[in-house]
Amino acid sequence: MPKVLIVDDEKHIRLLYAEELEEEGYEVALASDGVGILERIGKEKPDVVILDIKMVSSNGLDVLQEIRNKFYNLPVILCSAYGSYKVDIKSIAADAYVVKSSDLTELKKKIAQVLETCVPTKE
Amino acid sequence: MQFKEENPSSITKADIVIGIPSFNEASNIAYPTMQAALGLKEHFGEMASVIINCDNNSVDGTCDAFMNTDTLGIPKMCLTTHRGIRGKGNNLRNLFRKILELEARAVIVIDANLKSITPLWIKNLGEPLFKDFAFVAPIYVRHKYDGTITSNIAYPLTRCLYGRRVRQPIGGDFGISGKMAGIFMKSPLWEEDVSQSGIDIWMTTIAMNEGVPICQAFMGKPKAQKPKDPSLVPGPMFKQIVSTIFNLMIAYHEKWASTKWSKPTAIFGFGIGEVEAPPVVKVSKERLYTRFREGFNTNWDLYRSLFSSENLQKVREIASLDIDHFEMPVPVWARILFDCSISYSKKVMDRARLIEVLIPLYYGMTLSFVNKTEGMSSQQAEEYLEDMCLVFEQSKPYLVYRWNQ
Repeated sequence: MPKVLIVDDEKHIRLLYAEELEEEGYEVALASDGVGILERIGKEKPDVVILDIKMVSSNGLDVLQEIRNKFYNLPVILCSAYGSYKVDIKSIAADAYVVKSSDLTELKKKIAQVLETCVPTKE
Repeated sequence: MQFKEENPSSITKADIVIGIPSFNEASNIAYPTMQAALGLKEHFGEMASVIINCDNNSVDGTCDAFMNTDTLGIPKMCLTTHRGIRGKGNNLRNLFRKILELEARAVIVIDANLKSITPLWIKNLGEPLFKDFAFVAPIYVRHKYDGTITSNIAYPLTRCLYGRRVRQPIGGDFGISGKMAGIFMKSPLWEEDVSQSGIDIWMTTIAMNEGVPICQAFMGKPKAQKPKDPSLVPGPMFKQIVSTIFNLMIAYHEKWASTKWSKPTAIFGFGIGEVEAPPVVKVSKERLYTRFREGFNTNWDLYRSLFSSENLQKVREIASLDIDHFEMPVPVWARILFDCSISYSKKVMDRARLIEVLIPLYYGMTLSFVNKTEGMSSQQAEEYLEDMCLVFEQSKPYLVYRWNQ
């Protein structure tokens, strides 16, 4: 059962995503900001991270760099209410970028895609 | 000995090396050498460093110009190929040999004719190598029509084949760990085109297939070089790059056949402030169109032996479009490249000839790219390119199926 870690400072978003993704068969873990994210990932061992950008106590784009430098191959999907951060060079380090919507079809599609991604890794 | 060596400081060990490959760059090499020295002083001052010019036996005194440049006390070395041995790849192979002798941990390579390099480039290409990254590729600010071989061939193809998103796989400036230099030296995949301009795509592809952590470093300033209209004849570089990609596809068939979708790399080099706009690259759409049409008419019979019937029909249809409505749909372009790689591997025709007959279609794709993006900002064109890459990834099952037929 793939595990999804949702990092978002809005409680209703966390709950909505958790409910929908659990219905899809994913195991879900929740975090309300990016502070201490590396320890949290180390503990939860998620298969994919859904990461908000504009959070009260942290900037998701900076959190993304922390994750990428420590967990090079861990899939991270940026999920923001704003499409404008897509042009920020920091967002290149994400596997995918999804603009938030009440319809989670696109997000679910991207989660499935990053989970089936297979690239050469160090043997 | 593979090279002649000038090592006045008798250097035998170094932590970090900057390599500057060259051929007849006497009038240019001093500037990047000085910037390299400043970068080493400012950002790697505690480390034992050396700057190495690896040269193609230039006749204009490049090595002397390099040796006479003030490098603030940082030692210099010059490695020169024997007479008649040319090519950036040959220069870098000599550099890799020397790096292994010096047991260097990090190597940064910069072009000898750089006009826009700053000490920050050295920091950004070098620092990730001390944070466990093995290969650092550059990200430059480029005009949307600068580097059309990269945009239309090298980036989408390597990304969909090996699954790693390296935007400038033939950027020219890069960083590698000492271990990576060892991997390059041991690789059995070296051939003539790699000795020349195929070296950049060769290194990037090997790094991807080794699965080592790759980082892309933001350079901030555009790479100042003479902008070239992509409708002009691309020269031997086109053949060297494309045949290197196709040769590596043969060698890494099992790797790319099992690769699905793509993943990002880490990114390094933020907070540079306002970024300078790159110089505008002018494109002659008329010349692109004429060269496409002439090449199509001349090579039609050859295309029949290269492409699947479905693809052939599409190419014929595209050739009937007028210049203003000209469009090479991305799935068709992806399948053209896939078909060419398959024909190349099966030696359907002389391999050098095959690359030649691909060039008119590349002009067609470039014209299509221009028609699609001429009203777009560079950022919008970049997003269009990302969508192109997704189409390549989606089209890949066609390649896997046909390659195995």
